[in-house]
Amino acid sequence: MSGVRFTVDGRAALAESGELLLHALRRNGEAPPTLCHDDKLEPYGGCRLCLVEVEGSPRPVPSCAVRVEEGMAVTTNGGLPKLRRTLTEMLLTEHVSTAGGGRADELADLALELGAQAPFVLPDAGREPYEDRNELMGYDPDACILCGRCIRYTQDVMQCSALTFEGRGPEARIVPTHGHSWLDTECELCGGCLSVCPTGAIFEKKSTGTTMPDTALRKVKTTCTYCGVGCQLDLNVDPESGKVVKVTSDPSYLPNEGELCVKGRFSFGFINHPDRLTEPLIRGADGELHPASWEEAIAAAAAGLNGVRERHGDQAVGVLASARLTNEENYLIQKLARTALKTNSVHSCEAT
Amino acid sequence: MQLAELPTARTSLLDNLGRIRRELGPVTPELSDALADHMRIRRGEVAEVVSFYSFLGLPLDSLRVCTGPVCACRGGHELLALAQELAPEGLPAVEVACLGHCDLAPVGTRGDTILPGLSRKVLDAALAGEAAPPVAHATNDGPSLGLSRPDREASPPRLPPERVLAELEASGLVGLGGAGFPTWRKWEAVRREPGPRVVIVNADEGEPGTIKDRYLMELRPNLLLEGLLVAMEFAQAEHGYIYLREEYATARARLLEAIAALGDVYGRSIELVVGAGSYICGEETAMLESMEGRRGMPRLRPPFPAQRGFLGAPTLIDNVETLAHIPAILRNGGAWFAALGRRGEPGTRLWSLSGAVERPGCYEAGNGITLRELIEEFGGGPTDEIGAVVPGGAASGILPPAALDVPLTRAALAEWGASVGSAAVQVFPASYAPLELLTETMRFFAEESCQKCTPCRIGTRGLHHLAAGRVSFSGEELEAWLEALEQASICGLGQGAPIPVRSVKRHWPELLP
Repeated sequence: MSGVRFTVDGRAALAESGELLLHALRRNGEAPPTLCHDDKLEPYGGCRLCLVEVEGSPRPVPSCAVRVEEGMAVTTNGGLPKLRRTLTEMLLTEHVSTAGGGRADELADLALELGAQAPFVLPDAGREPYEDRNELMGYDPDACILCGRCIRYTQDVMQCSALTFEGRGPEARIVPTHGHSWLDTECELCGGCLSVCPTGAIFEKKSTGTTMPDTALRKVKTTCTYCGVGCQLDLNVDPESGKVVKVTSDPSYLPNEGELCVKGRFSFGFINHPDRLTEPLIRGADGELHPASWEEAIAAAAAGLNGVRERHGDQAVGVLASARLTNEENYLIQKLARTALKTNSVHSCEAT
Repeated sequence: MQLAELPTARTSLLDNLGRIRRELGPVTPELSDALADHMRIRRGEVAEVVSFYSFLGLPLDSLRVCTGPVCACRGGHELLALAQELAPEGLPAVEVACLGHCDLAPVGTRGDTILPGLSRKVLDAALAGEAAPPVAHATNDGPSLGLSRPDREASPPRLPPERVLAELEASGLVGLGGAGFPTWRKWEAVRREPGPRVVIVNADEGEPGTIKDRYLMELRPNLLLEGLLVAMEFAQAEHGYIYLREEYATARARLLEAIAALGDVYGRSIELVVGAGSYICGEETAMLESMEGRRGMPRLRPPFPAQRGFLGAPTLIDNVETLAHIPAILRNGGAWFAALGRRGEPGTRLWSLSGAVERPGCYEAGNGITLRELIEEFGGGPTDEIGAVVPGGAASGILPPAALDVPLTRAALAEWGASVGSAAVQVFPASYAPLELLTETMRFFAEESCQKCTPCRIGTRGLHHLAAGRVSFSGEELEAWLEALEQASICGLGQGAPIPVRSVKRHWPELLP
């Protein structure tokens, strides 16, 4: 590592060449809060919470937007904690709706940590309520702090512009393009916007079923079963009901770097669905399905397939593999088709 | 016009939207999407640009009523309500923060036509399609800009860049848009960066009370072009741009004529870019964003425009008046210009004089002049007992009558917690309450805030509500908010918004906590 030497409150510190000051501060034990920053995005410097003083700058600078330079003298104390608290209080004067159960609210957490309280509620704090007819994502304008993380994330990372800033001045707000429903924009309901929302203004409609705060949910890391990509995700379990209330992911997870698609994020309803099969079933002579062991079920399937081959020949059997299989599983399927079933008719529905 | 004819470069977005509004009508969501598809820009990105500006969604012949401070003092809000009442179904009547015709206050527009001395009669006539009263200019033959002289003069001498810098330094010329940064230093900084470089004229005059750039562009457009060509030659810039506010239709026509008449200018091009109604786009980095086809939200600095500006190129951005002084400076020498000031201050400048004076207008006079001299020598004296004076735009502070003999200089005004700003001197009668003036000023900041940074987004609104008596602060809380705006805002709008509040705290302490 080519080290860049700088100082934090007079103490010597080391950064990587070209490193963001925010990251360097975190590694050196100082973690200025930030609500608008996301490592995947270009520096924005809008919330101003991560301001620090840098010698030679006439005003504090946002550490999320400054690269460390050799000899930089950084101050994080002095008047900055008070400034940070004032900024937090400003945000609270407009943050008239707080996130409900299951929703993260970094602003509320920060307010608690700093002892910040709104001195009053801005008379024009309330925004027009927003209802979207889609069943997955909701938006609470009164919890929004216009940090624009959702917009920048969808535009720059997801390459979609379903969310936009609208207007200027006190009436400015965030809405799906033209104020239409998400369903009438180019949105694919991937939920990327809600995954970066710091105040829970954009939220999973399904998670509103829990009363637990986001921090009380138990996270169970697993692999998405919907396709072969193998996205890593966290099932968020309400410890009281034992049920999954939402799915999240983390930027540190590979290969998806915290991103999910509409299925991975929202289609977990099958987990507790009464129609879900939880054990093998074999249809008996009575026409009804009866529970069976895996050995019995596999033997029954093999007998059925072999019966077709005997009566109609090998080519009478074809294999259609699910899109949910991995490359390795698809390899095994074709092996099974060609060597065991002796058919050339093998296909994956992903190919169409 | 067909959408398919429009150029597809992202930098054409603002111009395309303006053309659509002029030729096809208000930019509806359908037109916005169609343009996005044609330009291969995502629909949402075009939609959020459209909604950033005040005028793109309005029909061309809409009524616009000025509610800037001088107009508000003369019934601007009542006239707005009247216009809304009189306007036929389907014709919007909207307010504009400041139309830049404060010498003719109260004013409005019907489409491109300015309606000076707005009244019920003028509104009725405008709605009936009758001709509006003429827009008069009250000005003088100043030594540098000579606004009352004919526009055509011999081109300034072509000097080597070192000489240009030396003359600019000797002249003491500073940026006259409001910031007052020494021009020669800005020019030197741009020239240090590798080319290609770009020059932009900031003609987005929107600072409340400021009419000087309009006067200049309406009366001496060629003077501006000469200054711009000097700047382009100095910066070795092939492309020059003039970013003009939409409301200045006459200036637009005069500039287009003058540009067309220029002929070949050493292979350089000058392009007029027309805004769409947003004060913040006069902030130089917001202007760059606007020109690049995005919402006019200021950039973080560094890098400064001189380092990385329009499309990443080193960019020299100067105010209209600043550039217009340069031909005379090069012709007569920096020392000549410097000697034009009063009380040892260097140079002259245009003073926009409006409000409670007999002859409001735009006058060139030496720096170092006092308010009283300006009002007596040029304005023909006050019309009323003076209650308060704003010396140079919304963020320049509010002065009590006791400051009438203070020279309008950076140093002298600093002692009064004020600044020269854009030299937009607005004189308010004693009958206009300072708190009302403050409320209007803070409302202006709140409504023009781009919403990017927390202190400006919320602080300006909080202070507006405070001035209007809708929220209460303790003295300590107020100080903390003012400091947050000053220290933590990204651009000059938020950083300067506390100044009028501090003025009122200082000169009328009983009015605020």
